[in-house]
Parts: sequence; C-alpha cells; structure tokens
Amino acid sequence: MAVRAKAMGRAVARAPRDTAHEGFLGHRRGRWLKVSAALSLTAILAYALIDQTPRPNGGTALGYALGTLGAGLIVWLSLIGLRKRIITTGPYSLKGWTSAHVWLGLSLIVIATLHSGFQLGLNVHGLAYVLMMFVILSGLWGIYVYARLPALLSANRNEMTQPQMLAAIAALDRQLDTAAQPLGRDEADLVRMSIEGCDIGGSLWARLTGRYPGCGNSRAEAAVAALVDGQRRTGTADPRLVQILFLLERKGAALAQARRHVALKTRLELWLYVHVPATFALLAALVAHILSVFLYW
Amino acid sequence: MGFTVRQIARRADGGEIIRTRAFDGAELSVGRGSDCDIQLADLGLMLRHARLRLAGDGRVAVEAMGGVPLEIAGAFVTRADLDPGDNPTIMLAAHRLTLARGEDGGVLVTAERVLAAGDGSDAASEAQVFTLKKTLPSKRRLAWGLVVLILGLGLALPLWVMAGRQTVLPPALVTAAARNAAPVATPASGWQPDRVWSSGPLSTAHAGLANSCGACHAKPFEATTDTACIACHTPAAIPAHAPAARLARGQVPATGLVADVHKAFNLPEGRCASCHKEHEGPDGALQVAENFCTDCHRGLAARLPDTRLANVPDWGGHPAFKPTLVVQPSLTAPRFERVALAGARETSGLVYPHQLHLSTRNSVANMVRAQGLPGKNGLLACNYCHVPDSDGERFQPISMEKNCAACHDLAFARDGGVVRTLPHGKPEQAAGIIRDFYLGQALSPRAGVAAADRRLPGSEARLRTLAFTSPAQARAQADAAIAGIFGKGGTCAECHAITDTGGANLLTRFAISPVTLADHYLPKGRFPHKRHLSYDGRTGDAACISCHSGVPRSNLASDVLLPPLSQCATCHGGPQLATAAPATCATCHGYHYGESGHGGDALRVRLVVARRGE
Repeated sequence: MAVRAKAMGRAVARAPRDTAHEGFLGHRRGRWLKVSAALSLTAILAYALIDQTPRPNGGTALGYALGTLGAGLIVWLSLIGLRKRIITTGPYSLKGWTSAHVWLGLSLIVIATLHSGFQLGLNVHGLAYVLMMFVILSGLWGIYVYARLPALLSANRNEMTQPQMLAAIAALDRQLDTAAQPLGRDEADLVRMSIEGCDIGGSLWARLTGRYPGCGNSRAEAAVAALVDGQRRTGTADPRLVQILFLLERKGAALAQARRHVALKTRLELWLYVHVPATFALLAALVAHILSVFLYW
Repeated sequence: MGFTVRQIARRADGGEIIRTRAFDGAELSVGRGSDCDIQLADLGLMLRHARLRLAGDGRVAVEAMGGVPLEIAGAFVTRADLDPGDNPTIMLAAHRLTLARGEDGGVLVTAERVLAAGDGSDAASEAQVFTLKKTLPSKRRLAWGLVVLILGLGLALPLWVMAGRQTVLPPALVTAAARNAAPVATPASGWQPDRVWSSGPLSTAHAGLANSCGACHAKPFEATTDTACIACHTPAAIPAHAPAARLARGQVPATGLVADVHKAFNLPEGRCASCHKEHEGPDGALQVAENFCTDCHRGLAARLPDTRLANVPDWGGHPAFKPTLVVQPSLTAPRFERVALAGARETSGLVYPHQLHLSTRNSVANMVRAQGLPGKNGLLACNYCHVPDSDGERFQPISMEKNCAACHDLAFARDGGVVRTLPHGKPEQAAGIIRDFYLGQALSPRAGVAAADRRLPGSEARLRTLAFTSPAQARAQADAAIAGIFGKGGTCAECHAITDTGGANLLTRFAISPVTLADHYLPKGRFPHKRHLSYDGRTGDAACISCHSGVPRSNLASDVLLPPLSQCATCHGGPQLATAAPATCATCHGYHYGESGHGGDALRVRLVVARRGE
C-alpha cells in the first residue's frame, strides 16, 4: 500500500515540463531562440554602426570581439559531446543544453560571417570558416532527421524490436534450412542463396537507397517461383518447393521491414558521422587559425 | 573391424552431444539424404555426397559421389586413398570428417560442424546490421584523421618551415623600394607552407612578398616591427612622413581597455603597421582610413606644441583657408607666404583689373567682338586666359603672348604696310629697337614710316609720320618715344609697374617690376575644377563666378579672389551630414604631399572613406 501511495504521490508531483511534450527547439517557450536572435541582432547592429578601419574583418577591434565570442561558442558547442554522456538532474537539463546548442550554433553563422567581414581566402582562416559552416549545415540536417524520421521509424517498426526483426529472419532461415534438407543439390543451392547470400544492412549505399540488387532471397524467391510455376503447368507442384517458396516470401517481407528500419536508422545516424568529425576538424582549424594570427602577429 | 562414427552436435550453452555408432560394412555413405550412413544437415552437401571404403591394408578410400570435389589436406580431389593413422581430415561444406585408427583396428570417423549456422540474433550482429559501426570508419577515427591532417598541414608544417628559415627579402624588391620605384610583383619562387596563414592578399606593392612571410613577420608572436619596413623603405624613400617619433607623439594615445588589450597582446602603437594595414587586398598597405587623419590632427597642438599645423577635429572644425600668395614677385626667386584669406592682398607685380575685362560696353568688349575672341556680348570668357590644364584640375600658366597679345600688341610704328612691334619681356632690347628705328629713318628716310602712338586697345590708331631734318632731332624724338612707352600712361605701364631710375642710359633707365603669378593657391589640397563645371544650375562663366564672386567687381590684381571655405560647405557636408557631396579629408587632401607640393610622390598615400553611417 505504501509503495502504491508513493507512486501516486510521484505522479501528482510530476515536473511541469513532463505534462506536455515540448521539443528541444521550443524549450522553455523558445528561450534560446530569443537569446540567439538577440545575440545575432546585436552583432549585426555593432557591425553596421561601429566604424571599422581600414575595413571590417577579423583584424579590427569589433572583429577580435566577434572572433573571441565565436571561438568561445564553438568550444562550448562542441562540449555537448561531453555533456550528453553525463546524466544529471537539476536546472541544466540535457534538453535545455541541446536547445541552446542548436540555437546558439545557428547564431554562429551571423557572428562568424561578420567576424570575417565577408572576406574569404584559400587559407587556414577560410578553412575554419568553411568547416564551421559545414558543421552548422550538417547540424541543420540532423535537426531535420530528428524531427522527421523517428515517426517513420516507429511506424515501420510495428511494435517489433531490432533483435526481434533479426530473430524473425533467423527463424525463417532455420525453417528454410530444415525444409530444404530433402531437396536435390540444385534446389538446395537456391535455398542456400537465400540463407547465405542475403545482407540485411550491407554497404552505405545499399543502406541509404534501400536497394539490394544482388539479394540472395529475392533471387532464390524468383527462381523457386519459376520452378513451382513450371511444375504447376505440367502437373502438380512439389509440395516441399511450395513450402519453401512460402518461407522465402515470408522472409522477403521480414527483410523489407528490417531494411526499411536500416535505411531510416542510417539516415538518422549518418549526419553525426559528418557533424562530429567535422567538428573536430573545425576545432583543429580553429587552433591553427587563432595561433597563426598571433604567430604572425 | 569396420567404421565407428562419432557425430558431435553442439548445444546452445557450448556443450557437446556425441552420438557414437558402429558400422560393420566396408562402405560408409556420407550426405544430406536420410538414407546415408552419416547424415549431415548441411545444404552445402549433395544428398549422397561421398563414400568411404575400407581398403585391404587398413587404409580408407574416399570418393566423391555427387560430382562435387572433396577438400582433403587443402586440395580438392574427387578420390583419395587415406591412412587413418595420419588422422586425415575431409572438409564437407560446413562439416569436417576426421579419420583415426579405432581401438579395435577399425576406423574411427568423427563428424562435426565446424562453421556455425549463424542465426544472426546476437547483440554484435544487431549493432552491425542496424548501426553504421561496421559500415563506416568510427567517428573517432574520422575525427582524429582530420585533426591530424589539418594540424599537420595548417600548423605543424608551416611552423617547421618558419623555424628553419632565415628572413627572406627578395633583393629586387629591396632595390626597387629604396629607389621609391615601381614595386616588383614577382613572388619568390616555390610555395612556402606558411602561406596558409595569410589572412588575405597583400597589396600590389608587396605582392612580391607573398611567398616570403618571414620578410615582415620576423619573430613569432611579435607584431611586425618598423625594422622590417625600413629594411626596404629607407627613410629617404618615404615621402611626406614626419620623423617616426613626431608621428608617434602626434597621435592620440590609446587609453583604458584598448591600451590594456594592446599591451596584453604585445601590439605596440605608433608602428608603421599601426596605420598601414596589410593583407587587405591590392590597395591595402597604403589605405588609411579617415579617422587616422583626425586621430593626429585633432588637438595636435597639445601634443606637438611646436607644430605650425592648425588643429582639425573634423570638417566642421576645419580652419579657414590660408592661401599661398606671392609676396615678392621675381623672375628668379619669387617669395610666397601663407596668409589668412580674410583681407589678404597679393603682390603679383601685374596690373590687371578683372572688372575692365568683363564688360559688354567698353573698348575691351569692342576688341573681343572685333577679334572674335571667346565670350558672350563682348564679355571676355574666363577660359580665354584661364585655360584648363590637361587633367582639368587647375590651369595652364598665363602668358603675355597667349593671353594678352591679341589686344595688347606692343606696336610702336608703321613701316610701309608692316606694323613694327616690340619684344615682350626684354625692356632694354625694346628701347634699343625704338632708338635704332628712329635713327635709321634719319639716315636713310623711307616713305610711309610713321610712329604709332599709344592708344587704348580697340580705339583708332593715331599715326605720326616720321621725317627728320637731322640725326640729333631723330635722337631726341626717339628718347621721347622711349620715355613715352615706358613712362606713366605708356604701353608697358598698362600692365606693369615701372620705376624711372632717371639713369643716363635710356636702355636701362626704366625698371619693370617682375611679375609672378601663383599657379596653386591651396597646394595642400586639390580642387578638380573640371568636376565643378556646373554649380547650382549654372554653367560656363556663370558657374566660375558663382564661387569666385568677387571677380566682376575686382579692379586690382592684388585682390585675392578665392572663395572662402564656407563656399565649399554649401555642397560638401561633413560625413555626419546627409548631403550629396562627400566631405572627408580625402575629398580634397592626399597624405601630406610634402614640401615639394603635390604630384612629386610615387608612394602617394591613398585615403579611403571610412564607412561611417553610410
């Protein structure tokens, strides 16, 4: 009874933010959107109103100020990799941190561009800028996939877990293996093609496009279907082959679901393979950018 | 005798289940089929795959039955003769048969699956299928790769090159700069890795240094020093710069946060590079922003008490014009002085009333009409005398022959049909010519020789026939004529101030004051007249007189007819005002044109308009 009362008590005292879903973009009614907009606007106003001599770029007083701000932001933004590995309670929630990460990251477009004074060259400074824009754009891509794909993933999943998907395919493989034991070599080879020559994931290209042209299962299915059709035209089909065709078709459906899952997971994951290494490349370029300025002061 | 078969199956927990059967026959069939002695559930096998047969000498003959070769000791064969004593193995798809001698002298055959039937349901397999872990290199690996690449090429390699290099100065560039000549724009050969640190293209003059970072950036973490600049730009080759110490003292010193930041980052002020910023593109190094002018000229007197320059806080506080006027005309060494415009008089030595020449009714107007000189209704056009120079900025020098002689013809006699004239600028010669002309007429008289007495230009000629009874009479009249021409009211005195020394020698008795006409009243600035050909809707002479408003009423050549600064300000507002015409320092001024005046400096500093609220 006591346990139940405690549980009820917790349900009543639920944190306000859990009562309705509020995504990381609109966290706290867009607090970080406002901060980011204010920061960008301040930078634009300063750029427009402050006399920069001989011309606006990273070498003026405002340029150094914007550069310091931008470098600080970049370092802080990259710290989300550490922050997300630390589970905390308290006011600085990971959601709030992510919200700030996204919005402050976008304000960096304004701050760094004004810092550059719209001057770009083929040098470490230009490299840092290009990498930064690349990181930000890949982050936008990440926001898009995080906003759009989980729903598709959930719809495709159909209440199945990933191990269940694999187990379903493995079970079908075992059934195919058993069912094919009495068959002759040629027919058994077709079944082997399905069991052994069938990638669920495969190369990055296959994962992204969802196209598996050499898929053993579909080839086996087509060949066995042709055999069964031939037998049916001349008489009755071998019931063992009919059973195998049925299993191959079921495996085809299970594969399709798993591969759709793979395709969505790949898209959900791939942007981070760009975003994270590019971030580290950016940090390296930033070090070279800042150090070189002072080395050749 | 016979075969003993041990079939090993694996349990899920890794344990083994071993089934042992004995066969009495001399033959043993192996395959997937249910009729085989050793049945292996392996789709890689034929229904009847192979046959093992006891040979007489204890050996075993192995034969492939389904036409698929057997893998024995690494080789694929269709039949083989094996000695069980050697413990040979036969690979059959995912299974392995091992032969051995049995305890009873028979053959022991062990069959086991060696390649596990993958069911793909373990966690490792799940990660492999559903994540990119095995498909792509890890993010960590990619990140480290890029970090090493970028730090290597963008930092380590340039650092290494920088550390191992001496200061590089292309000799051709040094020579050119020392001569103040056109820059050498060919970079040193090869590609230096520290170029990746360049924050922008160098100015045209320094383009030859693009590959020689060390020429200016001598020490790491030390701001470029004047030493680097002076290595090429010897003080003699830097025009119009005050000595460095005075330039530095003239500047408003940085205070507060700015000073602290400069100090913290080792960025001393007052260096060449404080004003001349490099890596700003082709116009870079010589581009100096407007506030650099007022940085020094605002309150300059407080920092440089001995300066003769007026304080200029901004356009609104620009001091009144101080034109450079002729105070002592001379043919060889005229003296000029800068004086305040208000109430200024000039001593050019010339007599020239502008008003007289700008009339529609007097003899000048008659002359203009009769000779078809440029002008309207007999009013002589300004540009008849004030002819624009080639760049339309100022005017060609005025000369008697070009601009005056059409009317002021210096005729003194008629000789038959020929008008005899005197040379201009050579008074002794002129006096001699008159005397000789009169004496010649006395010695050898010719008909039709008459003296042309002085008259106003445009009025009718008054001729007096010259006929002498004696050389003495001719001499006396010649002296009188010379005194008339040079004396008060004579031809020369129309335009010149003449002193009668009273000397006995007539050739040198009259001293004509030299004339010096100023060609540039405001040599510290530039006023492109051609860009002001229309003013307030007026063009031509009306536009000239709009600014030089005193001209139509001026009766004396000593009048200084420059417009005041306020005239400029009717159009040119300060940068803070929203008027059409700019009024930055650079609108009129170059950087300290120097003592020699404008035009003499190859390294003229171009000022740019700072963007202030534009």
